[in-house]
Amino acid sequence: MLGTKIHTLETLRQQIAALETNPLLKDAALVSVPAGLLAPPRGSVHEVFADGPRDGGAALGFAFAQARFMQEQNRQAVLFLQLRADAQELGLPYGLGLGGFGLDAERLVYVRPETIAELLWAIEEAIACRAVAAVVADIAHPHKALDFIASRRLSLRAAASGASVLLVRYGREREASAAKYRWRVSPALSQPPPYDANAPGLPRWQVTLEKGSLGGRRKAAPGGEVFLVDWTENGFERVDADGRTGGARRAAAVSGAPSAALGDRLSEAG
Amino acid sequence: MKLVALDLRASAAGLFIGQNVSDARGLVTNLELREIDRPFIEQVFADFADWHSNASPIVAVHKAQASWGDLIVDVTGVSHLFGGEERMLETMTGRLEALGITVSGAIGPNIGTAWALVHHSYPQVVQDNVMGALAGLPVAALRLEEAQIEGLRHLGLKRIGQLYGRDRRALQARFGASLLLRLDQALGYVEERLTPRLPLAEHYVERLFAEPIGLIDDVLMTSGDLALQLSNRLEREGLGAQAFHLFLYRVDHKVMTLSVKAARATRDALHIGRLFAHRAERLQGEYDAGFGIDMIRLAAGSITALSEAQIGAFSIDDGAASLDQLHDRMTSRLGSLAVVRNSFANTHIPERAVTLEPVVNPQPKEPLPLLPIAAPRPLRLLPQPEPISVSLAEVPDGPPPNMVWRRVTYRFVKSSGPERIGAEWWLSRSKLKMKGEETKEGAHSDTPERHYREGEAARDYFLAEDDGGRRFWIFRQGLFGAAEAPEWFLHGFFS
Repeated sequence: MLGTKIHTLETLRQQIAALETNPLLKDAALVSVPAGLLAPPRGSVHEVFADGPRDGGAALGFAFAQARFMQEQNRQAVLFLQLRADAQELGLPYGLGLGGFGLDAERLVYVRPETIAELLWAIEEAIACRAVAAVVADIAHPHKALDFIASRRLSLRAAASGASVLLVRYGREREASAAKYRWRVSPALSQPPPYDANAPGLPRWQVTLEKGSLGGRRKAAPGGEVFLVDWTENGFERVDADGRTGGARRAAAVSGAPSAALGDRLSEAG
Repeated sequence: MKLVALDLRASAAGLFIGQNVSDARGLVTNLELREIDRPFIEQVFADFADWHSNASPIVAVHKAQASWGDLIVDVTGVSHLFGGEERMLETMTGRLEALGITVSGAIGPNIGTAWALVHHSYPQVVQDNVMGALAGLPVAALRLEEAQIEGLRHLGLKRIGQLYGRDRRALQARFGASLLLRLDQALGYVEERLTPRLPLAEHYVERLFAEPIGLIDDVLMTSGDLALQLSNRLEREGLGAQAFHLFLYRVDHKVMTLSVKAARATRDALHIGRLFAHRAERLQGEYDAGFGIDMIRLAAGSITALSEAQIGAFSIDDGAASLDQLHDRMTSRLGSLAVVRNSFANTHIPERAVTLEPVVNPQPKEPLPLLPIAAPRPLRLLPQPEPISVSLAEVPDGPPPNMVWRRVTYRFVKSSGPERIGAEWWLSRSKLKMKGEETKEGAHSDTPERHYREGEAARDYFLAEDDGGRRFWIFRQGLFGAAEAPEWFLHGFFS
């Protein structure tokens, strides 16, 4: 009897201690970057498919956007991997263009191996490091080495370490894969900014969740759940069927999402 | 053509070094001649010399006289490891003789003495009475030129002892200062420097094997053990190192070197061992143990102070150290140019504004104020802008209505721009052309393929969105109305 009481007491003490150390409750200003609209739990493998290299901007943008939401207070590092031979076909992330994604361009590390085996090794090595939040691997072509077993291996490693892997792939073919989530990202016509009807507006993507589910929601349609989102400095913003974003904008503000600029400051401080 | 080297049978037949080839052929009709390949011999001899660093860290090759060089080993402070100088000389020459190499060796208080004994006497150790030991040797033992030896012979000065006590001024006037220098060097009055072939490591640990080992796994296991020893030693002295070199001494007189670098000074044995394991993965076919490895040495370089406090328990654990170790491991396996990060420069030219530099051991650079950027920049940039063909813009300076890139047509519906980025003419190597100075260099017709010319003309950049929502960063190089028609390129993609 006494033993169970002491045990219960100890459990409660630990729970209180956990609540007190939780930054969310302790200090609202030090909140780590909140989960985005589409952010799934950390520690999983994602495949982000684009139809071809021409859509690579949108796919990489989505991957970096997701990577930003994977960052935590003491888990900040994001790595970008690309085979050296693929650089001209796909283009390299441009340091001056990364600001809009809340990533510190001077701290993003590019890994450029020669072979796919080295690339897979580098992903594994990176997610084993406890300072790495996410690894974005940009792979232009299908490879034999990147099969179900390889993706299963990565999934297990990612689940064990808590770091996320985002594999950016190209084409319409889908191979067997153990990745928990598969996204298809294609660009969509943007809404022009209010001051110039002929200018491009915020990036707008049509994101299809082909595999996996978010937050216990059931799959909406056989083809997968489809989101039409804008990428703003506050994060993702849902776009309704008429192409309006007004309601979502307010919702994002109410939920207390710090702006990307605030996120930047946090990452500089951390 | 002259003879530079002979084997035993040839010298037994009466041939000698320096003899004319035609004379030699006359004496020995079935003479087999090979032309000497000096770079090859030097290379082989250098490898051979490196291997002797297992006896003493300072080895050098003396190129002055013999056609392949003389091996010089500085035995100061190491001879006791062999049980004295005599024993050391016996061991070192004996093991070479066992391999079938004709060798002559001597130990002397300076390079000149040892050289004279090796070339003109029997193997011996001379410690004190240098003058006495050299007195009976011919003057050629002083490393003199042919003309000097000849001149001394004419004067009847055949032995080194005959030079002692001679009038130095007269000798210098007759034979030049080099004779006196050589004499002084041999007698130890003038110090002679030697240039060590391998970098001197103050901190190293090594292991000898009774039986040679060959497997790379064994080598790596040993390197792990050695790393532990080295880290203990560094810890005692409060030091850390950024470079580590593994020397593998093969039985057949070759040395293999593996080097790894760390982003921050370390003495973490596990980390060092892992770096070598990753470096070995990159060796692939290069690793060749030959007949085995009988000694391994691990040396530390770029040593800096690393106090206990810096790696103590009270430091904030922000993961930076483990991230640095990750970068080290990746660099050691993939190469330093494969693990890079952005570095910014103050220029408006997009491809010059950002460079990728190694994460580990980056080149130090001066921080410069960065230029503000007015227009948005793309998420992806093509390393080399790709030419596109466009139909003519409605307004001469406006954006094009479409483009053909990689054989696919894209129709633009929205665009913004232009952002004009001027050429950095002050960096361009070509001279500024004055008006009216046009030469015939403009005849580019024999190069039909369009190519992107860096920094030749101003560019106008546009952000163009096609009917599928894809956003491209395209630019026009050159102006309408100029001598050459402007050309269009695709430079990047927006998200």
